[in-house]
Amino acid sequence: MKITEIQSAKASEARQNDSYISVKNLSKYFERKGESLHVLDNISFQVKKGETVCIVGASGCGKSTLLRAIAGLDANHDGIVTVDGADVTNPAKERGMVFQEHRLFPWLTVEQNIGYALNGVSKEERRRLVHEHVKLVGLRGFEKVYPRQLSGGMAQRAGIARALVNNPSVLLLDEPFGALDTFTKISMQKELKNIQKQSHTTMILVTHDIDEAVFLADRIFVLSARPGKIKRIVPVTLPEPRDRNSYEFLEIRKTIYDEFFAEGQDLEVPKGKRKKPRISVG
Amino acid sequence: MLEDSIKKVGYAAEYLALTAAILALWFFLDVHGDLNPVIMPSPSKVADTLGSLIGKGALWGDLLISVGRVLKGYLIAASLGIVLGILIGLSKHLERFTNLLVQLIKPIPPIAWIPLVILWFGIGESGKIFLIFLGGFFTILINVIDGIRQADPKLIEVSASMETPLLKHIFLMVIPSAAPSIFTGLRTGLSSCWMCVVAAELVSSSTGLGYLIMNARQFGRTDVVLIGMLTIGIIGKIMDSLLKVAEKSVIRWN
Ligand SMILES: Nc1ncnc2c1ncn2[C@@H]1O[C@H](COP(=O)(O)OP(=O)(O)O)[C@@H](O)[C@H]1O
Ligand SMILES: [Mg+2]
Repeated sequence: MKITEIQSAKASEARQNDSYISVKNLSKYFERKGESLHVLDNISFQVKKGETVCIVGASGCGKSTLLRAIAGLDANHDGIVTVDGADVTNPAKERGMVFQEHRLFPWLTVEQNIGYALNGVSKEERRRLVHEHVKLVGLRGFEKVYPRQLSGGMAQRAGIARALVNNPSVLLLDEPFGALDTFTKISMQKELKNIQKQSHTTMILVTHDIDEAVFLADRIFVLSARPGKIKRIVPVTLPEPRDRNSYEFLEIRKTIYDEFFAEGQDLEVPKGKRKKPRISVG
Repeated sequence: MLEDSIKKVGYAAEYLALTAAILALWFFLDVHGDLNPVIMPSPSKVADTLGSLIGKGALWGDLLISVGRVLKGYLIAASLGIVLGILIGLSKHLERFTNLLVQLIKPIPPIAWIPLVILWFGIGESGKIFLIFLGGFFTILINVIDGIRQADPKLIEVSASMETPLLKHIFLMVIPSAAPSIFTGLRTGLSSCWMCVVAAELVSSSTGLGYLIMNARQFGRTDVVLIGMLTIGIIGKIMDSLLKVAEKSVIRWN
């Protein structure tokens, strides 16, 4: 290979890494009772390899729909999603998914649930991987327990371990801590951060919790109300570990808060029926 | 601790009360009224007859024959019902293909099949087994199909998102999720098998509990009729309890 070829290969690899996940002109409509619901409107963005992106937006703006398109769970949309250069049309184990409800199989124990994700590995390898991931999410001692016997936080950890056990290059999380109490939630956010540091997984996390987004993200995508559009991208360059009460943290939080609650923002809702969007601010 | 055991005694009393009351009424009528032995024999008469039937080994023989028939028909019904139910439950095409026939045959009580079964099979063993099979099969089939249909789409999606191979998906996801429904089918199926064995033996047999009852009626031996009926009740209850135990040990996650 000539030097110029090597250079261009490197450049293309760098480009590839800059757009590890690429979403181009993604639009989505749901047909319901003959009516067409416009959910996502021409969304385009790119995510770097190893980056953590948080998507925030009000309830119903299409966050889950967007994440499902990236996961390949719903390929019935306009536009193109690629991961590592390949079109996403189906779910694949290289893209781990964590849902808001833990979605563990009730009939399998914690270790069986985590092991379920593994296909075509030897018995010893399976045991080793399951053990390693049980440890990673702090569930040692609960391997033989059924999901029914787990607390919400523990079940969610098991769900995360299951999504990670295939060592996916992309981890997609849909409001994973939304159902947890504040204390559990904050400790899970810290753990997720540690896991990300160890595994360098590219992460996209959907949330309606602004604090969570500022704490976890390298960049925050703010989605508008339905039809969802990327209204703003906010880079978060705070040093680690992030202090939730530092001036800079609060400043970013306010920036995002203002995206939702600035003057005249929520006036679409008729008077008398006015509801606060489901955004928790701390 | 003490409170717990008092509670348990209370539950046991509640469990037995109704049956005990009816037995007590029977004893009471025997002592204070005059029971016509053909319509309702006295408790002591029934006990005596039971003793002598057991002594001669007659009851035991008929019981074994009926249980054997039930088991044969039931095992065929259960295995076919489960396998076909899983296949139909998994395939929309197969379901559409079979649905009409299943819906048409299901409401026909197995007893209505008896004339046809005699024409086809004669009055031998195979006809009875077929009838028992019919009794259990549709109940089991329909419960299995329903159980598989009702699998949580969210969990199916999880399994799909992991690129799970089909057989693993069926055995570790679909079947366990349908297990409660499958057991419901197995238990109701078993009781319809019992109904069918008695019906078959009442009509055409010279052995079994159904025959015992029919034969005793012709000789006015109401005591034997009662014993035959109670035996069916008890053995049915025992088999159902065994299935319940099996269900509990299989469905450990609830
Ligand atoms: N399968 C579906 N069929 C029809 N409408 C749907 C479906 N899934 C979601 N929607 C609608 O699309 C909109 C966006 O949903 P979703 O992406 O779940 O929002 P979010 O996750 O931001 O709360 C909602 O109005 C929802 O009712
Ligand atoms: Mg959602």
